[in-house]
Amino acid sequence: MSAVKKFFKAREFTSFLFLVGLFLIVGVINPGFLTLDNISACFNSSVVYTLIAVGMAFAIFIGEIDVSVGSTMGLSAAVAGTMIQNGSNWLLAFLVAILIGVVVGLVNGWGVAVMKIPSLIFTLGTNGILRGLMYLQVGVEQVNSLPKEFKDVSSMTLIGSFTIYYCCAVALTVGIHFLLTRTKRGRWFIAVGDNAGGAELVGIPATRTKVMAYLICGVLSAAAGIIFASRIGIVTSLSGNGYEMKAVAACVLGGISLSGGVGSVIGAGIGAVIMASISYLLVFMGFSSNYDNAITGVILITIVVVDALMQRRAAVNNRHARLAARTSAAPGGKEGLEQ
Amino acid sequence: MSEKSPKLGGQSGLRRLWNGPNFRWNFFLLILLAGECAVFGAANEKFLSLTRVFTAANDFLPICMISIFVTFVMITGGIDIQVSSIVGLTSIVIGVAWQDFGLNIWAAVALAVVVAALCGALSGFFIAYCGVQAMVVTLGGSFLYTGLALLVSTLSSTEAYKGISGFPDSFKALTKIKLFDFIPLQIVIFLAMVVVAHLLLHCTKYGRKIYLVGVNPSAAEYSGVNSRLVIMSTYILSAVSAAIAGIIMTSYLGTAKSDLGGSLTMNIITACVLGGTLSTGGKGSVLGTAMAALAIGLLRFGMPLCFKIQAQYLDIPVGVLLVVVVVGRAVASNPNVIAWFGRLRGRGKESRIGA
Repeated sequence: MSAVKKFFKAREFTSFLFLVGLFLIVGVINPGFLTLDNISACFNSSVVYTLIAVGMAFAIFIGEIDVSVGSTMGLSAAVAGTMIQNGSNWLLAFLVAILIGVVVGLVNGWGVAVMKIPSLIFTLGTNGILRGLMYLQVGVEQVNSLPKEFKDVSSMTLIGSFTIYYCCAVALTVGIHFLLTRTKRGRWFIAVGDNAGGAELVGIPATRTKVMAYLICGVLSAAAGIIFASRIGIVTSLSGNGYEMKAVAACVLGGISLSGGVGSVIGAGIGAVIMASISYLLVFMGFSSNYDNAITGVILITIVVVDALMQRRAAVNNRHARLAARTSAAPGGKEGLEQ
Repeated sequence: MSEKSPKLGGQSGLRRLWNGPNFRWNFFLLILLAGECAVFGAANEKFLSLTRVFTAANDFLPICMISIFVTFVMITGGIDIQVSSIVGLTSIVIGVAWQDFGLNIWAAVALAVVVAALCGALSGFFIAYCGVQAMVVTLGGSFLYTGLALLVSTLSSTEAYKGISGFPDSFKALTKIKLFDFIPLQIVIFLAMVVVAHLLLHCTKYGRKIYLVGVNPSAAEYSGVNSRLVIMSTYILSAVSAAIAGIIMTSYLGTAKSDLGGSLTMNIITACVLGGTLSTGGKGSVLGTAMAALAIGLLRFGMPLCFKIQAQYLDIPVGVLLVVVVVGRAVASNPNVIAWFGRLRGRGKESRIGA
């Protein structure tokens, strides 16, 4: 298959078409929407989701899930925010935040890959612990007097009206995509998710790859936490709550299969933009934000149901095609069927 | 037959019970519950007053009620993370139907249960008949039903954040009546749900089908079980249990709000897992889940009372409990560790024989 054809058949391309379609529909209803500023605002507001969704994509690639990303993000935002608020060095605060992500990732990876505990359950446990630690860190107060310079970084633009953060996130996503598809170690993640036993038999260290996936997931969530603190400027003890589900939703919207081994991080990035844009688009369509959750739910369910039905149909068609090929290849059909 | 045989039979019966599918785990949970009572009771004797426990039970009864039926879903190999949004939806449907559409309060309650069952059936249909992963559908469902609850609340003349209150006394009585002037009615409802669920899961054909579908769906299909219908029905059951929890919460709080039960999901899954339910399906028991849910509930009640821990920090002990239990279980089922225990036991026997 040629590269172009492959590109158009990719699952993330469907998601991209869906996103463009969404923008066009809103544009038809309200022509005022189709300006560069509005569209770039949709992309810019998705930066936190993008990072978390790319991290989550790693956990889903290997056939597991990580529901502690929301609290990892919240905790790193709280810790980094408090440090910066108290006048410490930014770099030090970033390092501490990333370190939190590393520790969380290693613990999750240990529990899931080494101890072989179902990932949903183990990360649910770490999620509770992290959320509690966050209350200890933030308490009933909020981190809300972050220095202005720190908050201003979030509105600096790099290319056109895209912010520095979003450009970095896109560069990171594209970089990860190439590492995942072009390097040997990158392909391990998909291989382990597709068939863990088979991957191990051909010499891929499955356990180490799984720990690595959780490590990346933790680090990206922690990085998302720093950006969250900078963008929103307020960290409460509930910040990041529910982001894990939105990240899963973004991955699914981006064509990543929850059973592992299928999809790409680019898809996760596109899914994140869809998730982030919905509430923004609703405003332009004249709906109140009350419709936000309902529409997200309808879109999510519709996409996965249509995808499942299409896959089932493709599987049936493939079976018929194989049968037809076999019977036509062998005259009389008997030898062909015996194969 | 010699006289010894009944005794031998009794021994093997005990052993059979001990080696039964859920007995050892349920025994551990019982010890955990007793340990909690002992520790909290020693720290503060107020904990041991039953009336106080019954009052506090209102905070964790929804977790107990829903997790029992989510166990059904998990035994079939699925998962249900939409139940907490159905709690809110039930509550607001009762409120709006009663206040703004002028329905009789019990008609409103019945309507809410029907709505919840339909929600469960919709998600169950997509999971069972379209073959979509349960996690994704119920994730979408949790968004959808939370959103629906919010939309229903805009139909009301009352501001959404205030909640609808002023329910008739007959409805509030649901959580005010006390059996024998002592046991609140909602506890009785919970116990009744446990009994019904236990009989349904462990003593009926339907229950055996649920296990079979969880262990091996194709084998179930080939042996004539309508596995799709069975799977769908478990989601309806869990949604209806969420509706019952929503009714109890609305009655107890006296207000109908669309965001009731928002934070229950994680606790419910924790209760199921702690109760010995296998998230890959095929294993679990009603009693285990009920005891695990009670253990979590008592933890959430005892910690603030006895150790002055603020309610916000309670996620830590619950999370630690879950992680410790699952890690401990994984370690205990590790072949090396089992062999080590075996050697330990063997050595004990030898030394006894030697003595």
